[in-house]
Amino acid sequence: MATVTGGIDTRQSGASTFAGRSAVAPLLQIQDLDVHFKTPRGIARVVDGANLTVNHSEIIGIAGESGSGKTTLVEAILQIIRFTNRITNGKVLFSPDGVQQIDLMKLAPKDMRRFRGKDIAYVPQGSMNSLNPVARVGDQIVDGMVDHGVPARAAKSKVPELLDRVGLESRVSQLYPHELSGGMKQRVIIAIAIAMDPKLIVADEPTTALDVNVQRRILEALQRLRDELQIAILIVSHDLPVHAQLADRIGIMYAGQIVETGDIRSTLKTPMHPYADGLMKAIPSIGGNRVRLEGIRGATPSPLSWPSGCRFHNRCPYVMEVCQTTPPLLAEVQAGDREVLGEVIAVRDGRRVACHLYPESTPGESQ
Amino acid sequence: MVLINLWKESGKFKLGMVITLFLLVAAALNQVLLRWAVGPDVDPMTAGSFGIFLDPQRDHLLGTDRFGRDVFSLVVIALPVSLTVAFLAGAMSTAIGVVMGFFSGFVGGLTDSILRTFTDMFIVIPTLPLIIILAANTRNLGSVKLALFLAAFSWPAAARVIRSQVLSLRERPYIELSRMTNLSNREIIVGDILPNMAPYVAIGFAQASVGSAFALVGLTVLGIGPSGQMDLGRIISEALGYGVISLGKEWIFIAPVALLILLFLGLALISQGMEEFFNPRLRTQT
Amino acid sequence: MSTQLPATTLETIATDASDQPGDRRFLRNNPMVGYYSRRLGLYLITLWGSLTATFFFFRFLPGDPISGIIAQLQTRGQYSNLEQSDAMIEHYRREFGLDGSMWEQYQRYFERIVLHFDFGPSVLSYPTPATDLIVRAIPWTLGLIGVATLLGWFIGVIAGTLVAWKRDTRIAEWITNVCLVLSHIPAYFVALVLIIFLAYRFNLLPANGAYNTTLQPSWSLDFIFSVIKYGTLPVLATVIGAVANWLIGTRALVVSILGEDFLTYANAKGLSPRRILMSYVLRNAWLPQIAALGLALGSVVSGNVLIERLFRYPGVGNLLVDSVVIKDVNTAMAVVAMLIFLVLTINLIIDLCLPLFDPRVKTSKS
Repeated sequence: MATVTGGIDTRQSGASTFAGRSAVAPLLQIQDLDVHFKTPRGIARVVDGANLTVNHSEIIGIAGESGSGKTTLVEAILQIIRFTNRITNGKVLFSPDGVQQIDLMKLAPKDMRRFRGKDIAYVPQGSMNSLNPVARVGDQIVDGMVDHGVPARAAKSKVPELLDRVGLESRVSQLYPHELSGGMKQRVIIAIAIAMDPKLIVADEPTTALDVNVQRRILEALQRLRDELQIAILIVSHDLPVHAQLADRIGIMYAGQIVETGDIRSTLKTPMHPYADGLMKAIPSIGGNRVRLEGIRGATPSPLSWPSGCRFHNRCPYVMEVCQTTPPLLAEVQAGDREVLGEVIAVRDGRRVACHLYPESTPGESQ
Repeated sequence: MVLINLWKESGKFKLGMVITLFLLVAAALNQVLLRWAVGPDVDPMTAGSFGIFLDPQRDHLLGTDRFGRDVFSLVVIALPVSLTVAFLAGAMSTAIGVVMGFFSGFVGGLTDSILRTFTDMFIVIPTLPLIIILAANTRNLGSVKLALFLAAFSWPAAARVIRSQVLSLRERPYIELSRMTNLSNREIIVGDILPNMAPYVAIGFAQASVGSAFALVGLTVLGIGPSGQMDLGRIISEALGYGVISLGKEWIFIAPVALLILLFLGLALISQGMEEFFNPRLRTQT
Repeated sequence: MSTQLPATTLETIATDASDQPGDRRFLRNNPMVGYYSRRLGLYLITLWGSLTATFFFFRFLPGDPISGIIAQLQTRGQYSNLEQSDAMIEHYRREFGLDGSMWEQYQRYFERIVLHFDFGPSVLSYPTPATDLIVRAIPWTLGLIGVATLLGWFIGVIAGTLVAWKRDTRIAEWITNVCLVLSHIPAYFVALVLIIFLAYRFNLLPANGAYNTTLQPSWSLDFIFSVIKYGTLPVLATVIGAVANWLIGTRALVVSILGEDFLTYANAKGLSPRRILMSYVLRNAWLPQIAALGLALGSVVSGNVLIERLFRYPGVGNLLVDSVVIKDVNTAMAVVAMLIFLVLTINLIIDLCLPLFDPRVKTSKS
């Protein structure tokens, strides 16, 4: 799996249009993304300085509570933010071929439309209402293809194969959305998503509101998509077990920013950021030692007024003076043995965290 | 208070209130305006007070009509009559509608189905012809009787609004809570449901008044209005009857038409402003 | 190698007709039958109820109908004899169906209407039956209402959709505000303005009657042209208000559709704006607006009465006012019954046809 060497992921000016570096450009690179909404009650900085990298053919999960900005982040990638009165900053660099990076934020709507549904596919939250109630399922699979240049006949002939891939009978294409169950609708959405062989699927809470069995099937289907078709999947969910089952890497989102990223195993087992740590501690585990469940004290802040410095400082059990004044940067932590939240663990490659407990994160400190 | 917030936040409500209050004040001051226009001794309805079909001038802001009556003073005394009938009908209509809608929504079941069908029937059927017939066949049609007729046919609109509101209120959690604490039905109604219905009753009243005003115009321009009194529609109907259009004297009914349009606009703005305020989902901005 | 996931959980909402007795099986497999029969039943009950209410409504109007009728007949030159002998009164009673008890009258009334469409003789042009007067007037009313309503609906719905689609532009806002104001002005006032300017000041179009009275009604081009010319102002007066109302209503509906999840998803699929507008927006908007059309008919008819009166257009609205003024009960009753029947029937047709177009209502196995 090709990864870009991290370095300090901060204010990178001038994103390279050509990969000046030797490595392959990541599939998606979000740099210092801001999405601020102008509301009557002030400016809501829903996404504020978010950084994230998605590599080709990997499954990366984004975990966070509601209000952390995950859905808006997803909408920003696809440029389908609904709220019109807004300010945006930062870059969303998309590189389907690994060479040329295109800033999606700067694209004209017409050009963005060419990517949407084709190179970047969307699996939305709550597929209950995502299908057009007055059109047949088959037609809704076909229309996206046709609008991206596929001749109608070819598109129609592909429908049975697509439905088969997600485990649906071909006669489903003649049905209307209200005749399908929630799980079936979700599978139709996935079929639409893979219809044009996308490079990236962005899934927002794809399994919420489905029962556990259907959930498992959907997740298996997604995994198979990556295994067999090399599609990268960005999956947003507040449900950590979903990430545990599916993701290769995970990013933890808090207060409009990504505060920790890393491979799924070590991040879940030995998180570095106190917030991530709190999240893990709040999940009961079946079997294993009996551990006390702890919550994170305090309440989620509001995007209308994030706390100063590190946004988590007023809830953090490890808070220091510098946390109240200086925002930490999302930085790669050196691999090797290291004390992390009171325990010495072996830190693996590629883990990044934004926390002053790790000097790499504090600006000005040499590592 | 809620009213102050409503005033501050809703431009529509503000504008509507301004317009309606203007009309109400003008109507209330009708005697004063009358004195100012034609002096204390003149009864505006008396024919021959002035020259016939005079053009608008300083002494007669809206000229005179076929009978030599000063049009401005006619309009001034007609306004309160029209407003009275419209609001009276609106009030009666709302009262009936509230009772029906509330009963229907609260009791539910078969009663609700029957009442709902009954209400829908009234909405579908063209009611103006019926009102015309009723009013035309009544001797001594006073303002109150007229308002009653109008209300008899416009209550379904208010009933519908109230019913759906009662239905949604009935299922709300705090009602369940009150039920669990063994409050009697009456206490639930008075304590929990009624206070939340107040804004919708007000909206219903505004809408019923508009509807009644519309029907009133329909009646009066046909010449069927409160007997013995001059109302805005009658000015229009009389003017048309004497062919003022072909004579080129249309100014005679410009004022009544303008005032009536203002009435419709004012009330509609109020009701829309209130609806948007109390039901944020209706707001048209994203 | 295909990724075949087990399809054991293919859940559809169609039920299996397993061990059900014959009748229930039929109803289960055809849920539409229940809907249709219920709707038809409702229609018949409402129709019967309205006709009955109409009858009693007229019977309970103040005043004795017979003396009024005789007085009217006399003023219209039917009789010079001013005395009303008992025999004469009885004769007219029978003719106008006013003899016997209320119950007998009601039965007779119902029988006559349902079987013969007979409402008795009119007073306006005695002894012509009321039904004939109506038959003569109905085409004009239908033409006027039909053209104005359909035009207004079409233009209003399409314009409303476009205005909502482009709602961030200044033109759209301007149009919306103009229509907002217009929607509160009764067609009658609009008609007055039109008459003043187009008919009198500039002498462009006529404002009286349905056609040039020097012409004979026929299918000739001249006559048709005349009908169109005379009908323009009445139709225009109605259409302006109708377009304004439908525009505003459709705009609100489309704005709410635009906020729906499936619109966001359509956008995310990268569909062309044209396809989204046609297949996703319009297709979801026009059905509710058709249902709304049925509901609006009542007020359309009411407003039409005034317009006909103002333009002296020879439709049933004008007929109604004429008959009311001279207390011609039969004609008035006939007009009212006819209007109610028309509105109820059109609503029925709409309600019966809608399911054919709305896939959500069809829950049978396809």
